[in-house]
Amino acid sequence: MKRLALTLFLASSLTAVPLMAADDKNASDPTAVYRTQWHKDILAGYQSLATQSQKLESQAQTYCQSPSSEELEATKRLWLDAFLAWQQVRFIDFGPVEENNRAWQFQFWPDPKNLVARKASYLLKDEAPITPEKIGESGVAVQGFPMVEYLLYDQTFRSSERALPAGRSCQLLVAVTRHIARNGETQANDWKGFQGNYLGSEQYTDTTIRAAMAGLEILEERRLATPMGLRGNGKRSVYSADAWRSGASLIAADASVHGLKNHFLPAFAKLLNDRGQTDLAKRIEQQFEEVLANFPELDRPMAPLLSDDNAFKPLQSLYIDLTQLTALVNDRAAVELGVVRGFNSSDGD
Amino acid sequence: MKATLAGSAAFTLSGCGMLPRKADSNSPQQYTGAIGLADGSFAVGAIAPSGQMLWQAPVNTRCHSGCNRPGTAELLFFERRPGWAFYVLNSKTGEQRHHIEAAKGEHFVGHGVFSPDGRYLYAPVNRYEPGEGIIAVYDSHQHYRRVDTFELNGIGPHQITMHPDGQTLVVGLGGILTHPDYDRIKLNLPTMKPALVMMDRVSGDILARFRPSHHQLSTRHVDVAPNGTVYAAYQYQGPAHELPPLVARYRNGHYEEIDFGESVHRELGNYISSIIAHPENELVAIASPVGGTALVFNGRTGEVIEKSAIADCAGVAALAGGDFLVSSGRGKLVRMGKGKPGVEIASMPVQWDHHLV
Repeated sequence: MKRLALTLFLASSLTAVPLMAADDKNASDPTAVYRTQWHKDILAGYQSLATQSQKLESQAQTYCQSPSSEELEATKRLWLDAFLAWQQVRFIDFGPVEENNRAWQFQFWPDPKNLVARKASYLLKDEAPITPEKIGESGVAVQGFPMVEYLLYDQTFRSSERALPAGRSCQLLVAVTRHIARNGETQANDWKGFQGNYLGSEQYTDTTIRAAMAGLEILEERRLATPMGLRGNGKRSVYSADAWRSGASLIAADASVHGLKNHFLPAFAKLLNDRGQTDLAKRIEQQFEEVLANFPELDRPMAPLLSDDNAFKPLQSLYIDLTQLTALVNDRAAVELGVVRGFNSSDGD
Repeated sequence: MKATLAGSAAFTLSGCGMLPRKADSNSPQQYTGAIGLADGSFAVGAIAPSGQMLWQAPVNTRCHSGCNRPGTAELLFFERRPGWAFYVLNSKTGEQRHHIEAAKGEHFVGHGVFSPDGRYLYAPVNRYEPGEGIIAVYDSHQHYRRVDTFELNGIGPHQITMHPDGQTLVVGLGGILTHPDYDRIKLNLPTMKPALVMMDRVSGDILARFRPSHHQLSTRHVDVAPNGTVYAAYQYQGPAHELPPLVARYRNGHYEEIDFGESVHRELGNYISSIIAHPENELVAIASPVGGTALVFNGRTGEVIEKSAIADCAGVAALAGGDFLVSSGRGKLVRMGKGKPGVEIASMPVQWDHHLV
């Protein structure tokens, strides 16, 4: 049973919006204009990810061909650039990034069982050559940024005899960075190809807004509150944050907020303004700036901030600024726009 | 997931002040469901017909669904994904009678059903290393000792129910491969093979296997009407802009999918969380938390009878008299039926998980 991809009916999928009936200029799909902008803005983000991943792949090869501490540092820098490019677009949980669990391939997290370390150990002890196919079959814990981070930064690994630039570790480094670069390129191309369906289906407006809401919630709850000890058993621990091996947890948070600002906010603010929510749009824009003003001071490893009550304070300020942003978007704006993210709808059965 | 309060702190009941009677005369006159509480903890909760929260049984982790044990005042609930245990509770008090853990290498998937005499429990299980779906059989007369295992020759069984013939198990084989190490990741979307499976509960023989029209229509939820018509509800794993069928029906040797029309399908978000065939009439209800829509259709004709926008709705139950009850993650209970648009009859500060038992 086939269905047309184009939207033909009149009602907007954004419910509870009395303004819509009066404002029916584009009766068939009033929100296409926002998706047009989102598509373009998000494409820029994916293209940046593709470019940075390619540079990382290239540098990994350069380093492994002639290892030196300078080349290692360059590799770390380019890993961070590519990783942060991913952080910017990480919130987009729909569309091509769902193919073959590609989002998980870029970043498998959380990793409570430390699969990354286990898989690395297994692959390095094994004797079979580390080919692209091997990476392809090894599962998401091997295929992305956390595996490269492990090789570059993990303290136990780095002091072992297998540490970079040992032959096999270099094989793994080169193979994984190649896998990431392939995914980056594919993702950018797939997002381009997704344009027709994305612009043609009105439900993607809700989907995009919900993706941003999920991104903010994950940032607030899992990437900050949990390691800060504000949830669960109240224990502070950097190991529940992401990118703890490289100390990039907070700089990654900075990038994710930037990503929402660059790739989500422009069309979203326009949507709010068009709905007469100019005040709310302004407050959200301002709150983005409040959150980002915590950086670059907080572009530092999280661990020392968790163990020192004085150093913890700026982290708390960031957290509070972020909760206010999340409240504005996920509570206020969501209600105004009739977008729902629920206990059941976001944690399916 | 942040726990949110649904409205006021007190439990409010609108309308006549009583919750309607359940249609199923074999189970206690109460509604039970897995709930998330405001403080982030979890319980199984039971609501009396008078509208009172009868009891809340604390549980270690979020539960999903369960079953009443026929002929007894016992109720069983499974932990949710991955489901390392089930609880057997006194259905009058919520007191825990048993806490049975999954066998080594196995986990439950949130559903189970008893034999008509209340003795044997049939629970879909994931044997997770090889990713094989099985039905695990437990004997309640021997403190829920594991007594049998039926191979499904498939992946990802989810809901199970008993055919009115008392002999045939009806299983929704979702087809999705998961592994506890990779908590929420669906590992086999390109190659999944979901199906509606009918199985003899004594021999474990597979009697029938029906595949959906698209390999990514995960056949997770099932129900059977008293006349033996079997219904299956799907969750589509493909892209959101496609609108495949979401419900199928098996009767008189024919398995066919029901088309509700494009605009209705858009409101279902490619995702059905539960389905129930009313025991007193031809009506069937489904809920979609993704689409925020619950609807009632005529099981025989496929015609949509009533549709209601209910945010985060997920569970459906049949009420005595022919109507349905829908529960939501916002603590709402909504009644709807033929000629009766959805009416909120209760609002509680809890978050109902997908199924009402």
